[in-house]
Amino acid sequence: MSTHPPRGNLSAARIAARVLEALARGERIHTAVVVEASDQALVGRRRWWSSRRLNGGTLGSRSLDEAVAGKLRSLFPPHQSTAALSRRFAFGEGRWARIYLELHGPPAKLVIVGAGHIAIPLARIGAMLGLRVEVLDDRPEFAAAERFPDAHAVRVIDFCDPFAATRPGPADHVVLVTRGHSFDYECLVRLLRMSSPPGYIGMIGSRRRVRATHEQLRREGFSTDDLLRVRAPVGLDLGGQTPAEIAVAVAAEIILFHSGGTGKPLVEKERVVERFFGEG
Amino acid sequence: MDEKDLMARLAAIDGPTVLATIVAAKGSTPRKTGARMLIGPERVIAGTVGGGCGEGEVIAAAQELLEGGKPRVVRVDLTDDFTSWSPAVCGGIMDIFIERADPGVVRDAAAPMGGRADG
Repeated sequence: MSTHPPRGNLSAARIAARVLEALARGERIHTAVVVEASDQALVGRRRWWSSRRLNGGTLGSRSLDEAVAGKLRSLFPPHQSTAALSRRFAFGEGRWARIYLELHGPPAKLVIVGAGHIAIPLARIGAMLGLRVEVLDDRPEFAAAERFPDAHAVRVIDFCDPFAATRPGPADHVVLVTRGHSFDYECLVRLLRMSSPPGYIGMIGSRRRVRATHEQLRREGFSTDDLLRVRAPVGLDLGGQTPAEIAVAVAAEIILFHSGGTGKPLVEKERVVERFFGEG
Repeated sequence: MDEKDLMARLAAIDGPTVLATIVAAKGSTPRKTGARMLIGPERVIAGTVGGGCGEGEVIAAAQELLEGGKPRVVRVDLTDDFTSWSPAVCGGIMDIFIERADPGVVRDAAAPMGGRADG
């Protein structure tokens, strides 16, 4: 039938199968489809690129394929695991195409180091946010699966090499809520030396405790830029005190990290009353 | 139905089916960019792009496509009828791409990056 995608083109169904295969193997995959174009024949054309450096399909023009491939890294930062957007691409001699792109990847991890009282609500909220939660502690009585029913993994670790089994990557989040700053320090040294460290690294603590950890890192030769990669003290300033309130503040910062919001109350941002109902 | 279930459903379709995808959403819309819906000749198969009037427009456009129309972007404007009783009143604009989703003639030899089979 003439309404089928152009001959040789990848259908949406075929691409969906590719995405599922990639996810099952733990890979990231980008997909692209032409939704509008100067040349109507390109509409519906698709291409995909996987993190295993495989690709297939075509958007109908080699230069368009290359233009889109060249933009994937900047359109989808490594900390993202799923995203969707559309962009217009020009590809020579007045030709243009509007491309809809998706990124599919394994769910990002939330690695909680320190299985104490804050870890319990944080693991729960993390799971609700769709993160793959892993809880680490060196004390087996704390790193116990029954304490963290929502966690994907609960691991007893050695602080000499805390991330040996977990291996967090750029799309992942690590939150340090250990019982002492020497443990935080051990974790930070490991994290900051990773060749592709987690995008979000947070550490709980008072100003004093954070400062002590940072001083130790500076002595070890880490730069100020390295220190700035650590969100410490972790979380938004919500004024909460209880473990659950602190967990909400940390989760809120993780959401903010991805969404690029302001973190302010919406009432202050939108100011509907002042704008539309204020005195003249 | 979550995103992965819908993807599995899409991968497994075998009859005439239209895929509707929100490719851009501005303002306050019921669903965001990336939301999907599968529409068959008789009914909606799975998913939603937000319900209400907007979705009605998409379903109508999908029927046209099944009868021989071309893939295209349908713009759904939810900003105008502010006093409507419709649940679609959210105050945003969505661009929804509709296309035939069923596999046609397929050639998909996975090639290493750099190497390629042009079409």
